[in-house]
Amino acid sequence: MLDTAPAVRRAPGRRTSGRARPRRRPRFGPYLLIAPTVVVIAVLMFWPMVQIGIMSFQKVGNRQLRGEPAETVGTENFDKIFNDPFFWQTLRHTVLFAVVAVSLTLVVGTLVGLLLNKLGKRMSSFVAGGVMVAWATPPVTAAIIFSWLFGTTGGLVNWCLDLLPDFLVGGGWSDYNWFATPLSTYTVLTVCVVWQACPFVAVSVLAGLKSVPGELYEAARVDGSGPWRTFWSLTYPMLKPIFLVLVVMSIIWDFKVFTQLFIMAGMANRDAFNLSLYGYSEAFGSLNPKLGMGSAIALVLTLILLVVTALYVRVMVRQGETR
Amino acid sequence: MKYIKVAAVTAAIALAATACGGDGKDGDAGDGKDPAQLKVWMMGDGTPEQTKILDGVEAEFKKKHPNTDVQVKYVPWPQVATTFQKAAAGGEGPDVTELGNTDVQSHIEQGSLADITDEFKGWADGKTLNKTALGNDTADGKTYAVPWYGGVRGVWYRTDWFQELGIQPPKTWADLSAAAKKVQDSKKVPGIGIPSDQTNALLSFVWGNGGEVASDDGNGGFKGQLDQPAAVEAVKYYAGLVTTEKVAPEKYVGKNELEGPQRDFALGKLGMYIDGSWALKEMKKVSEKNADKWAVFPIPAKTGGNAPVMAGGSDLAVWKDSKAKGAAFDYITLLNDAKNAKIWADYSGFSSMRSDVKFSDPKLEVFTAIAGNTKFPPISAGWGEFEQAKKVLPNAVKAIMQGKSAEEEMKKANEQANTLLNP
Repeated sequence: MLDTAPAVRRAPGRRTSGRARPRRRPRFGPYLLIAPTVVVIAVLMFWPMVQIGIMSFQKVGNRQLRGEPAETVGTENFDKIFNDPFFWQTLRHTVLFAVVAVSLTLVVGTLVGLLLNKLGKRMSSFVAGGVMVAWATPPVTAAIIFSWLFGTTGGLVNWCLDLLPDFLVGGGWSDYNWFATPLSTYTVLTVCVVWQACPFVAVSVLAGLKSVPGELYEAARVDGSGPWRTFWSLTYPMLKPIFLVLVVMSIIWDFKVFTQLFIMAGMANRDAFNLSLYGYSEAFGSLNPKLGMGSAIALVLTLILLVVTALYVRVMVRQGETR
Repeated sequence: MKYIKVAAVTAAIALAATACGGDGKDGDAGDGKDPAQLKVWMMGDGTPEQTKILDGVEAEFKKKHPNTDVQVKYVPWPQVATTFQKAAAGGEGPDVTELGNTDVQSHIEQGSLADITDEFKGWADGKTLNKTALGNDTADGKTYAVPWYGGVRGVWYRTDWFQELGIQPPKTWADLSAAAKKVQDSKKVPGIGIPSDQTNALLSFVWGNGGEVASDDGNGGFKGQLDQPAAVEAVKYYAGLVTTEKVAPEKYVGKNELEGPQRDFALGKLGMYIDGSWALKEMKKVSEKNADKWAVFPIPAKTGGNAPVMAGGSDLAVWKDSKAKGAAFDYITLLNDAKNAKIWADYSGFSSMRSDVKFSDPKLEVFTAIAGNTKFPPISAGWGEFEQAKKVLPNAVKAIMQGKSAEEEMKKANEQANTLLNP
């Protein structure tokens, strides 16, 4: 850093001498600077993916981990999972959950964002601070807190529901087991994931709203536009690029949900598995690891996400064109 | 000038980095020489008492191996599978390790354990060890592990409630449901806790009805027996405690005995539940209030008598990558000698696998009686996957508790047994 000053001072002299070297070097420089990053990304992210691709066509267990050569089994791992109705069940869970969780995250997050924009300065920072806590909570912590809240013995939610009048919510809540069926498990999971994800949406929407000129809203108000109309005719079109990015990012996040479900349903409730948990249980669930099978499942999930990511990149590129 | 500086800094960093990684030679001791360190893995959370007992063992160990430090690492049970996988892959394994007894065959099959046949033959105390448990530690005539302790399950109940209501400890399935119903009606708590994720308890009902998970198919493999009437009837009874007799609450569906029943029983919110001798100390941690009123009766068979119980427990083995096999086996024999085995049994509440060691606490005597009728699940390398990764029986029981047909679910479970137990 300290050496930049003499270089600048020397530069004019070189230009007069007409040598091309100093001009060529800066062009090479940026690549040199970014090279370590590229190498790190390649080693840490790209290579494991290649490995997973290779392993999904192999049989890999403890013996192979110890150093024995892995046996190539062709498409056997994929044949097994595609012929297993259980795989399709987990895929269905994954997709349905993503659809519900993404919609809820965006709706709730946008509403909170709008609220933050309406609030006065102090209240706004207070609420923003509050939602940020949810965002900052590690997924493991959040999952444990939610499984306590929805616990069967001494869980706050069951206690509250039990206190409410029966004609409103029905009776027998004190012993209700939220984690017994996939539907109720996913209900808790959705609440937990949406709670954690909506602050990011809220803050992004807030940032977008701040960039919309206030005169537009004034004009809308003068024209007699209600909040609903204002949102769809003014706010939404203005923030559309942000919404598109948020949707795609949420889809990617919610497809990959693992930690929360792992803690809530655990390995005992296979009927509530999603793709990530299925892959984990195959690969690491017992003392006989089946890393090949796990890789095959992970590869399917990765391919699905790659399609979504491709969509994401396209959206980003298009945004660049329109601006 | 600046290039020289950069080069010097780079060289210095590189040197520092290699220096950090360059001390891999400390632990390597040749045969016959004592290693500087003996790594011992124990399963579970590791209490201060446990550490104290193991410190005592280390002190004795040091008399024979003065230059060796024993380093104990506790591996919590839920992390066991991944920790051993890492040990197999990275070579950062232990010298001596405790193993869950149902996992021993998987470890042998994967080649993770050292062959200790010769060392075992030279150990006089080997004769006192439980024969069935020892059978679980051998493969192809070679010994790979040594049985350490075992635990069996019984039904915990409240003596004060049973006395007040005039109930005798149940001897048959009918008695058990009746007792649960009586407690439930008068004490306004669920009669018995029947979680769906409790294979050990379920097996006692299957065996107590003359059923089996799988039988020997004559060719060294296993043939599933879960679709047979005896097993189906047992599972129907077990799940029926929740669904038809309604003496067990639905809130334990999808859970195991530690995720509710143990706590609820300790708090006086549950009439009975199935657990082992080690639960006493855990329940006291929850609430000491009624501890003197807790007692245990054996899980009844359908028509009377004690149902066979699964001996869950642990074994001791030498990890294959260990460079100090001799010292490692010495440690095992010390840990499992008559004196230390007794200390261990009294501390942990688990029965020793030595025939010459009994509990000191009279309250746990009933478990010694229960342990007189133990049985093993199929000794197959695939049991680990059947039980841990696929949770076949828990998921079948759960589905039945939620209204699916028992015949159908057990047929599916049996197909799984046929494939998974013959890996």
